[in-house]
Formats: sequence, C-alpha cells, structure tokens
Amino acid sequence: MSELLKITDLHTAADGKEILHGVSLAVNEGETHIIMGPNGAGKSTLGSAIMGSPEYTVTGGRIEFLGGDITEEAPDKRAKLGIFLSFQNPVEIPGITLSSFLRSAYEQVTGERIKLFEFKKKLKAAMEVLQMDAAYADRELNVGFSGGEKKKAEILQLLVLKPKLAILDETDSGLDVDAVKTVSAGIKAYKEQTGGSLLIITHNTKILEALTVDRTHIIADGRLVAEGGAELVDEVIANGFEKYI
Amino acid sequence: MAKLNILPVPTFARLGVNFAEREVGASETESITVPDNTEQRLIQYRTSDSETRVRVEKNAALKLVRIFAGKQGCVSRLSVTLADNARIELIELYIGGDTVSEIVTELEGYKAGFKADIGYELGSENELDINLIADHHGKKSTSDITVNGVLRDKARKVFKGTIDFKNGAAGAKGSEKEDVVLIGGEVVNKTVPVILCAEEDVDGSHGATIGRIDEQHIYYMRSRGIPEDKIYELITRARLTRLIRKIGDEQAEKRVYGALGWSDDDV
Amino acid sequence: MKEKTQVADINRSLYDFRYEEDESSFLDSGITPDIISEISAEKGDPEWMTEFRLHSLEIFNKLKMPQWGPSIEGLDMNNIVTYIRPKARMKDDWNEVPDDIKETFEKLGIPQAERESLAGVGAQYDSELVYHNVRKEVAESGVVYTDLESAMHDERYAEMIRSHFMKLVPPTDHKFAALHGAVWSGGSFVYVPAGVKLEIPLQSYFRLNARGAGQFEHTLIIVEDNAYLHFIEGCSAPKYYEAGLHAGCVELYVGNNSTLRYSTIENWSKNMYNLNTKRATVGENAKVEWVSGSFGSHVSYLYPMSILNGRGARAEFTGITFAGEGQNLDTGAKIVHNAPDTSSYMNTRSISKSGGVSTFRSSVVINENAVGSKSAVSCESLMLDSISRSDTIPSMVVKTDKADVGHEARIGRISDEAVFYLMSRGLDENSAKALIVSGFAENVSKELPLEYAAEMNNLINIEMKGSIG
Repeated sequence: MSELLKITDLHTAADGKEILHGVSLAVNEGETHIIMGPNGAGKSTLGSAIMGSPEYTVTGGRIEFLGGDITEEAPDKRAKLGIFLSFQNPVEIPGITLSSFLRSAYEQVTGERIKLFEFKKKLKAAMEVLQMDAAYADRELNVGFSGGEKKKAEILQLLVLKPKLAILDETDSGLDVDAVKTVSAGIKAYKEQTGGSLLIITHNTKILEALTVDRTHIIADGRLVAEGGAELVDEVIANGFEKYI
Repeated sequence: MAKLNILPVPTFARLGVNFAEREVGASETESITVPDNTEQRLIQYRTSDSETRVRVEKNAALKLVRIFAGKQGCVSRLSVTLADNARIELIELYIGGDTVSEIVTELEGYKAGFKADIGYELGSENELDINLIADHHGKKSTSDITVNGVLRDKARKVFKGTIDFKNGAAGAKGSEKEDVVLIGGEVVNKTVPVILCAEEDVDGSHGATIGRIDEQHIYYMRSRGIPEDKIYELITRARLTRLIRKIGDEQAEKRVYGALGWSDDDV
Repeated sequence: MKEKTQVADINRSLYDFRYEEDESSFLDSGITPDIISEISAEKGDPEWMTEFRLHSLEIFNKLKMPQWGPSIEGLDMNNIVTYIRPKARMKDDWNEVPDDIKETFEKLGIPQAERESLAGVGAQYDSELVYHNVRKEVAESGVVYTDLESAMHDERYAEMIRSHFMKLVPPTDHKFAALHGAVWSGGSFVYVPAGVKLEIPLQSYFRLNARGAGQFEHTLIIVEDNAYLHFIEGCSAPKYYEAGLHAGCVELYVGNNSTLRYSTIENWSKNMYNLNTKRATVGENAKVEWVSGSFGSHVSYLYPMSILNGRGARAEFTGITFAGEGQNLDTGAKIVHNAPDTSSYMNTRSISKSGGVSTFRSSVVINENAVGSKSAVSCESLMLDSISRSDTIPSMVVKTDKADVGHEARIGRISDEAVFYLMSRGLDENSAKALIVSGFAENVSKELPLEYAAEMNNLINIEMKGSIG
C-alpha cells in the first residue's frame, strides 16, 4: 500500500502560542486511523493544520500528501488533491444554497462541468444514504441547521466530493443515537464507494463499529504519546487518558 | 457639469457625498399613472439618460423593475408619488457602468407603502451614485429599503438613503439597510443613511454593514476545493440571486444573468 | 396616553446669575489686525505667536462660513468682544481670587469639586484663567497642569507648545478655527510624562460672564507613552440678551500604549453659539475615550475627531445631546482610521423636546492603509413631542476591502407601554417619562464619575420637568 499522508515533526502555533510540539504520523491508502486524546490536546489543531486553516501557523515540520509537500499549500489546492475535513462547527453561509455550493465544489475538485440535472441526481442519491429530506438541498448552507443536521450536511459533502482522505473532526459528538447510526452509515458508504482513507478524531467507539481500524494515535499536550492498533481504542475507553498525561 | 443627487441636508464637504457632478444631456421623459384600484408590473431597461414620473393612485399597486446594465451607465431620475393605500415595489439592479440615479418617493397618502430592493455589482472602474429619498407625509405610511451590493477592483459607490418623516406623518415607519461586500483593495464605498424626523409618533431605523467576507467563510469554502475568485463569484451570486428571483419575469431574469455573465444553469 | 406634556423654559437661575462688568475693560468689538496686535501685546505673546495670530486672522477673513449645519445668522461677528481684559491675574490660592469671581465659582461648586475628588482644577473666567491648582503629589510625578500662557513663557515647555499648538487643528481647518487662532486666550496645558498613570481626574471649568463675550480658550494635552489621564471639562455661561460665542479648541496628543479619557458636560446658557473644535491623534495601541454631554447653547457645532495614527489605536465616543426649546444642537463625532488594525466605537443618544432640534452627524473614514480595521456606530434618538426635530446624518467612507464597518440607528418615541407600566407602579406621567429618559441616557451617565453623572441626571430632570425640581 502506498503512502497517502505523511506528517513529519509538525509544530503549529495560534496567536503566538505553540500547540503542536512535533507530531509525526503516516496514513496509507485505504487505511483507517483514529486520533484520541483529552480535551485541548491538539487533535482538532492537527486536523485543521492538515487542511491548511489560516487560524494556525505551521512553525516547523512538514506535511506531505501523495509524495508532494503541501505544508504551504492553500486549502483549495489541498481539497483538489483529495483532502477533506468534516468540520466540528461548520460555518453558516447565508445566501448560498447547499446544492449550488456543493455543485461548485464538485466542479472544482473534479475539474469537470456537470449538468444541473445530473448533479441533482448525484446529490439525491447521497441524501438518501443519510436519510436527509430533499428540501435541504435548496436551503442556505448550514443556516439554521441543528447540530445534527450540520454534521449530516458535512457527510453529504464527503459522499459527493469523494476525497482520497477524509478527516472527521468529532463528527459524532453531540449526536443522538439515531443520528450517529445515520452518520456511521454515511462513512461506511464513503469507504465502500471510494476505498478512501479515514483519519477520525473521536471520543467514542460507536462511530467505529462498522469500520476496521488500522491504527490508533493518542495525542496529549500537543505530542503523540502512544500508538497502537485497534485494541488501543478499547483500552482508552476502559482506562481513560490518565496514564498518558 | 451639473450638480445631481443632492443630499437633502448637506454634511461635511470633505467626504464628497453632498452631490454628484455629471454632464447632463437631453433625457427621455415619461409619466406613468396607475389608476385607482389597479395593479401593474413594469420592467424597464435603462441605458440612456431618463426622467420618469410615476403616480400610483388610491389602492393601486405598481411593481417597477429597473435594470441598469448598459456599459456606459446613465443619469436616471425617478420620482414617485403615492396616494392613499397606494403601494410601489421597486426592484433595481445596477450591473457595471457609471450611473447616477435619484429616486424620490413622496408618500403622500394614508398608509402609502414604499418597498425598495436594490442590488449592484460593480467592478473595474465602475461608479455608482444613488440618492434615494423617501418623504413620509401620510399617516401610517411605510418605507422599507434594502440594498445589497458587491464592489470589486476599483469600483466606487455612493449610496445616500434618506427617510424623511414630515410633521404630521403620525404612525409612519421607515427602515433602511445596506450590506456591502468589498473585494479588492482599491474599492471606495461611501454610505450615508439619513433619517430626518419632525414627528414624534414614528419608528425609524437604519443599518449598514460594510466590509470583507468573513475569513471563516472563505476557509470553509476553500477547504471544499473552491478557489478564492470562485468564492467571490459565489458570494456575489448569493447576494444578487435572491433579488433577481423577485423580478418574477423569466425573460428579464435571463437578461440580467446574461449581463452578469452567468448562464442560468449556474443558478 | 398621547397627551403632550407641557414644559416651560427651564429655570436656570442657578446658572444665570452674573455680575456687572466694568465696560471700560472691554476692547473694541469686532476683529481687526489692530485688535489682534493689541491682544497679543496685552498678553505678552512671544513673537511667533503674534505672527500666528495675524496669519490666522488673514485665513479667517478668507474662509466662508460653514455650508452645512444649523444657521448661525444670529451671530454678529462684529459684536463679539473677543477679549475682556481680566480683572485678576492668575492665582493659585483660592482666597486671593476677587470676591465676585469667587462667588460665581462657589455657586457652581468649584473648588468644592476639587476638594472632594479631583487632582487639579483650572477655572477660566471670561478670557483668563483666574484660579489654578494641582495637588502636590500629582505635580511631583512630573505632571504639568497649568494655563497655556504661562506654559508658553516657561522655557521648559515653550518649544513643546510651539511644536504642538494648532498643529492638529490648523487655522485653515475652518473659519472658526482660524478665528480661534487669531484671538485665543486662556485654556489649559497638560503634560503627562511617560509611564505616569493619573488615577484621579484633572478638571477644568469654563465660564463666560461678560455680556456678548466670546470665549476662545485653548486646551493642549500631551500624554506621553504608557500613561493614563482622565481630563474633565465643564462649561457654563449665564444668560444674556446678546448672542455669545464660544470657539474653543482642544488638541489631544495620545502617546503609544496610553489612554486619555476626555469628559465634557457642556451647559452653556441658551443664547450661546458653541462652535468648538476638538481633535485627538492616537498612537500605537493607544486609546482616546470621549464622553460628551451637550445640554446647553443656542446653537452647537461639535464633532470631536479622533485620528488613529498608530497601529492598533482605538477611539471610543459616548455622547448624549438634549435639545430643548430654542436649541439647535448639531453634534456627533469624526473618526479617521489611518493605520492598520485600528478600531473605533461610537455610541450616542439624542433627545429633542419643546421645539428643540438635535442632529447627530458623524463620519467614519477608513483609509487605504487601515487594513484590518473595525468600526461600529450605534445611535438612538428620542422625540418627546411633535414640535421638535431630530435628524441623523452619519456617513461612512471605506477605502479598503480589509475592514469591517457596522452602523445602526433608531429613532422613536417613549413607548406607551413603558409609561403605563411605570404609572401602574405609582409614578406620575412626568416622573415616568423622566425615568425613561434617564435610562435612555445611561450610556453616558455610566461613563461619568459619580458626581457628574448625578449632575447630568439632575439636568435631565430639570429639562423634563420644566422646573427646578
């Protein structure tokens, strides 16, 4: 299996304060990795840094994707290369419908024009997987969406854009049992349809039930403190993070 | 050079908002009357200088759509008089050009209603000077003015909006709101939202937001693969599409999309 | 509920006492180079100042009257006695101040205010400072608070004054700035050295006493880096038949990382033309805070201006204007964003009553270089009857796309429900309305020192009740 994402000694800072103090990890094509750690450990920072958020400055180290250095790349370039981040708190953008936004993104990422009719078909199929009401397509992007609806809309975008690497930042937090099931089904469908890789930042195992975990990374205080296979998830769930802090 | 678009009450001269100066040639003049108890819709394309006088009689309603999409721009003067219970819904779109536009509405009648929805998309070295005045004479008259626009490159825009509550206009309500998105370091935006009031029993408000697109919005859209210039286009569409859909005439909507360089498949 | 409250002219007897002036001490009315030279000689100006005055007079004669704002036709420039020779030279012992002047200030509660809570007080009576004192510990910290004339003759400050005087507000700014440059007299000079944070406010009190007199005091405040100052300016004038003119000038220099708060409660008598110019330049990460109450005057033009020249500089303006019978008060603020990451906030209230006219007028300019700047303006107006006027004329000029500017304004009346609610709890209608108006003015009163907030609320109550209350 070839290497998809490679992070080497990554340091990031926000507002002049260093958050990640040298993190290294690699994700191969088709793998599923889990990132766990206490609150404020830097998990979301890692996800955002991979996507190229302007909130964080990379102060040291490198991020490579498909063998190329993307450390300084703009977020849209990273998206075109095949990186996707499911946001923990997606922004509300009034005036732009979910459908026209996603169609625009689809055309950019794939580099091809798509007829409105065909796109609607694609969108409808993805919405069915997530049991989303078709009316959401014509609603303004995330405007007035509940927490659960926002998370579903993120997974919907994942299903339409079909990236090579999906980073899911606590996509399961704040969801009720049914919503977790729906979101999990969406993730499973992504995996089945594309064979893409997953980097899942999470606190619980429900979302992982339908997936085969290849590797688990524990982050505490901006550093990787432990790594292991799927068994590490269960251990953390049972014993907490105390031994890593 | 003639002084046009004169602000009803002058303010600090150095701001350059008290009037616009233009060469004015001969202009087309037309008068429109909407008779009692009737409703009309009218769509106008304005490419040369014009003066339009509108009178909406008792219990009548006019939906007036004006599209300014000529490359050169023009000088336009619109005056509206509203009788008792008369209503006008004014939709105006300014796309490019170099335009001076004055809109004076006399809300003379009881419960006269003025609703204006104005949008603009200006780039390169386009200039737009709008002087909108709503004079409330009638009791319980209402005005509702919404302005949405996008400025890019070296575009310059002045929007002056005056709600004038005359003495005796008891129970009148007026509101005015402008939202401007600025894209490009050389744009100049001037916004002057005036309320004049000589009546106690009124309710007036105005608001304005002027500035850049939220950085978080930009990041979110970029993270989905949309490059910056495409984001600006999306934002522009988002602002104008809502307004264009209000035209309610397929032919006119197509023409507007054409002027904006969008195919309607994009919308 | 809609019955209008009848309000008589307020009883100003507290402020309207005056003493007869000895007319022989007046210089000729009107303004000529000879009068200017005479003033200059009388004051013992340094040569540069005499030249400055004569040059300003030339500019004055060239400039037009303002082309906007309320009418000042009632002002006869030839009839304003620009300078009244002082009866007294400046004193720093209150007991040496002549009795009639002293009595005037005693009635106004000065220097009682000084004894109670202030670091220093300067009092100007007509054209000259008559009383001046600064607490010992304040003086020892290196803070200078004196009258401008003395400072100009003191070699320690002479150069500082020359390099700052009317540099922020040049005589070419407008006609009344030119007039000020020609005939200015009295006022304050404050210097706060770097690192000094004055916790108690400095205060000045201006008062016009003579009939038809103009008052042209100049306030020059220089706050060096990393310092703090709160300066309070209070104004009052008795009432005369002839129109009085006030064309003062305030120049504030705020150094890097410093804060200067400038509070004013203006209560000139209601035949005064108040054409005052106030301006501040604000350095890096420094802040100017204006707190401004306008209650008096027949006509006012007053728009304190903040020029944000240093990166991260901030300006805050909090104001209230109450226009009653016979008043036309055109007030507001100007802000110029001239450096990156600057921010400004404006919050104003205006009240119109008994035929009074109040106008809120503002300008916010964000220049090309002011990237990352923010500005928010909020103004509210209250109409208390239908014979009054209230106009709101803000303007925003934005020349960069990297800025965020917001503005909101409301105009309306006291809600019937609110009055009804208060009346249902036992208040009479007038008290209910007075209470609501006081609440409306809370943006300003909460920014003032306690005794000034109380004075302001008292002014509102007087205006609301039409009696001394």
